[in-house]
Amino acid sequence: MSEVRFVQVSKEFEDNNKGKFMAVKNADFTIRDKEFMVFVGPSGCGKTTSLRMIAGLERQTSGDIYIGDRIVNKAHPKDRDIAMVFQDYALYPHMTIRENMSFGLKNLKRPKSEIDEKVTEAARILSLETLLDRKPRELSGGQRQRVAVGRAIVRNPKVFLFDEPLSNLDAKLRVQMRIELSELHKRLGATIVYVTHDQVEAMTLGTRIVVMNQGEIQQIDTPEELYKNPKNMFVAGFIGSPPMNFVKGRLEGNTIQTAEHVFFVPEHMLSTYKAYQGKEVTLGIRPEDILNLEQLTVQPAHNIIEPVIKVVEHLGSEFLVYFSIGEETIVAKFNADYPVKAFTKQQLYVNMDKMTLFDPETQFRIS
Amino acid sequence: MTTNQQQIQLQLDEKKDKQRNLWKKTGLALIYVVLIIWAVLTFIPLIWMFVSSLKDSTAITQVPPQLIPKQPTLDAYQRVFEVGGFARWFLNSLIVSTILTISNVVLASLAGYAFAKLKFPGRHTIFWILLGSMMIPGQITLIPLYILIVNTFQIADTYFALVIPTIVTTANIFLARQFMASLPSSLIDAARIDACSEPKIFWKVILPMAKPGLAVLGIFTFVANWNSFFWPFLVTSSNEMRTLQVGLTSFRYQYTADYGAMMAGAVLTAIPMFIVFLVLQKYFLKGITIGAVKG
Repeated sequence: MSEVRFVQVSKEFEDNNKGKFMAVKNADFTIRDKEFMVFVGPSGCGKTTSLRMIAGLERQTSGDIYIGDRIVNKAHPKDRDIAMVFQDYALYPHMTIRENMSFGLKNLKRPKSEIDEKVTEAARILSLETLLDRKPRELSGGQRQRVAVGRAIVRNPKVFLFDEPLSNLDAKLRVQMRIELSELHKRLGATIVYVTHDQVEAMTLGTRIVVMNQGEIQQIDTPEELYKNPKNMFVAGFIGSPPMNFVKGRLEGNTIQTAEHVFFVPEHMLSTYKAYQGKEVTLGIRPEDILNLEQLTVQPAHNIIEPVIKVVEHLGSEFLVYFSIGEETIVAKFNADYPVKAFTKQQLYVNMDKMTLFDPETQFRIS
Repeated sequence: MTTNQQQIQLQLDEKKDKQRNLWKKTGLALIYVVLIIWAVLTFIPLIWMFVSSLKDSTAITQVPPQLIPKQPTLDAYQRVFEVGGFARWFLNSLIVSTILTISNVVLASLAGYAFAKLKFPGRHTIFWILLGSMMIPGQITLIPLYILIVNTFQIADTYFALVIPTIVTTANIFLARQFMASLPSSLIDAARIDACSEPKIFWKVILPMAKPGLAVLGIFTFVANWNSFFWPFLVTSSNEMRTLQVGLTSFRYQYTADYGAMMAGAVLTAIPMFIVFLVLQKYFLKGITIGAVKG
C-alpha cells in the first residue's frame, strides 16, 4: 500500500525578511494508493513545501506524515521509498545519463545486473536508449525532463513526487509531456504527487486535486467537482480559464438585484438560499455560461443583459469578450461562429441554471 | 515606393553599413593597440629580470644598460646554487606552498559548502564574524601571531610555524562559499533522495561541480604562499628553514648586492608559478567567469 497521509501537519519557516510564517497550516488529507494527486495554487501557497515534507527534504513543525502504514516523521529521504522529479531536472552535470539514472540504485548497493536491467527498461519506456552515454548538457529540455523521470522510475518507489516538472518546457512540449506522464501513471500504477501552479495541468492530470492558498487547503476533490462545485470563491476563481466572474448583489425574493441588472433565480434553487433572503450575496458565473443571444434558438424570458463590449480577444475557436457590470469586469467565452465587435451593444443571456452563490463575508459557497 | 526610390534606399543602407563596419574595425584596432601596450609593459620587468640574469656583474650595473648582453653567461645561476642553499629553499617553498594549497582547498571548500548549503543554527552569525575578521589588517595581527608562535608554542624555525597561521584563510572560505552558493540546491536534494550520504554528496556531487572554483582558489593560494616573504622572514632564522623569497635576500650584503644572482634566483623562482598557471589555466579561465552566465 503506498498511501500518503498528513495528520494535522504544519510547517513554520523563519525568514530573514518576513520573520516567522506558516507555510502549511494544519494540513489533513490522504493520498490514496495509485492516485494521481495534484497540488495546485498560486506561488507561496505551500504546495511545494508539502511535497518536500513528503520527500523528507523539510521537516514538519508539527503533525504526522505516513507513507503506507509507516510514520515517517523523522525518516531520512532515502528511507521513505520515494523518488522525486525536480523543476530544474537536477541532473548531475558531470555524469552521463546512464550514471545519472543508476546513481540512486548504486548508492543502495543493488547488484550491477539489476541496475543495468532497470536502466535499460526505463530508457526503453522513455525512448532514451540512444542518449545513455551522453552528458545532460548535450540534451534538449524535453530529453532532460525524460531523464529526470527515468531516474525516478528505476527506483521503483512507492510514491513519485513531481515538483512543477513541466514549467521549464515550451507550450508544445508541455502538452506532449503531459500526455506521456498520464500514460506513465497508468502504466506504472504508482501513487503520484504532483505540484503545479498551472490549473490546466492540474485539471488534465489529476485524479484528485488539492487546491491550496496561503498555506491552507481550500478544497480536495476531483477536477470535475472542483469545477462544478467549488467550496469557496478562491477555488472558483482559481479553477477554470478564464476564471469565474463575481458580481455583488442582494437576494430579494426570486431575484438577485445587482447595481445594473435584476437576475431571476431558478425556482428549484430558491430553497437552498432561503437563509440569505434580503441579504448581500456574491453571484458567481462561469464565462461559458454567458451566451450570445444570437446563438440561442429559443428566446429566453429573463436574464438578458445588453452591455457595451469593451474588448474582444480572438483565441481561434472561441472569443473572450469583456464588459462591465457595475464596477466589475466580466468575461464571457463565445463560440467563434458568432462574432462580436468591440464598442457595440450586445444582447447576452446569463444562464442562471449554472450560477453559484457565495457568502460575501465568509467567501464560502452557499449550499 | 518606386523602383528608383528603392534603389536609392538600398544604396543609402549600404553606405550606412560600410560606415558602421569602419567604426567597428577602428574600435577593435584601438582595443588591440591598448592591449599590446599593456602586454609589453607587463612583460618588460620579466624580460629585464631574465636578461639581467645572463649578464656578468659589471654589465648588470652599466649605464646605459645593455638591452641584449654582449657576453651572455650563466655565472649568476652557478653562484645561486653554490653560495646559498638554493635547492633547500626551493624545497621549503614547495613543501610550504603545497601543504597550504591542499589544506586551503580542502578546508575552505568544506567550510564554504557548509556556509552555503547546510542549515545549522548560527551559520549567518559565524559567517559574518569571519567576514568581519577580514577587515582587520594583517599588520595588526602580526605581532600577537608572532608571540603565539615563537613564545607560546615555541615552534619558531619549523614548518609548523610557516604553515599554521594560514592553514585556511577567511578569504578562501569566503571565495569557496560564494561559488558553492551558485551551485543549484536541487542537486543536493536529488542526491539525498538518491540515498547519498552527506559526505558522499560533497565528494560525488559537489566537488566535481566545484572544480573550476577550487582550481582558482588553489592557484591563488599557491602563488600567494610561493611569493610570501614577510611571515617566513619573521619566523625562520636558520638557513635550512628559509623559503625562496627569504633566501634571495641573502645575496644582498652589508655594502654590496649580487644583483645577477638575485635575478637568476628570481627567474628560477618564477618557473613553478608559470607551470602551475599553465596546468590549471583551463580551470582558471572558467573559474573567473563563475556565475557570470547561467548554465
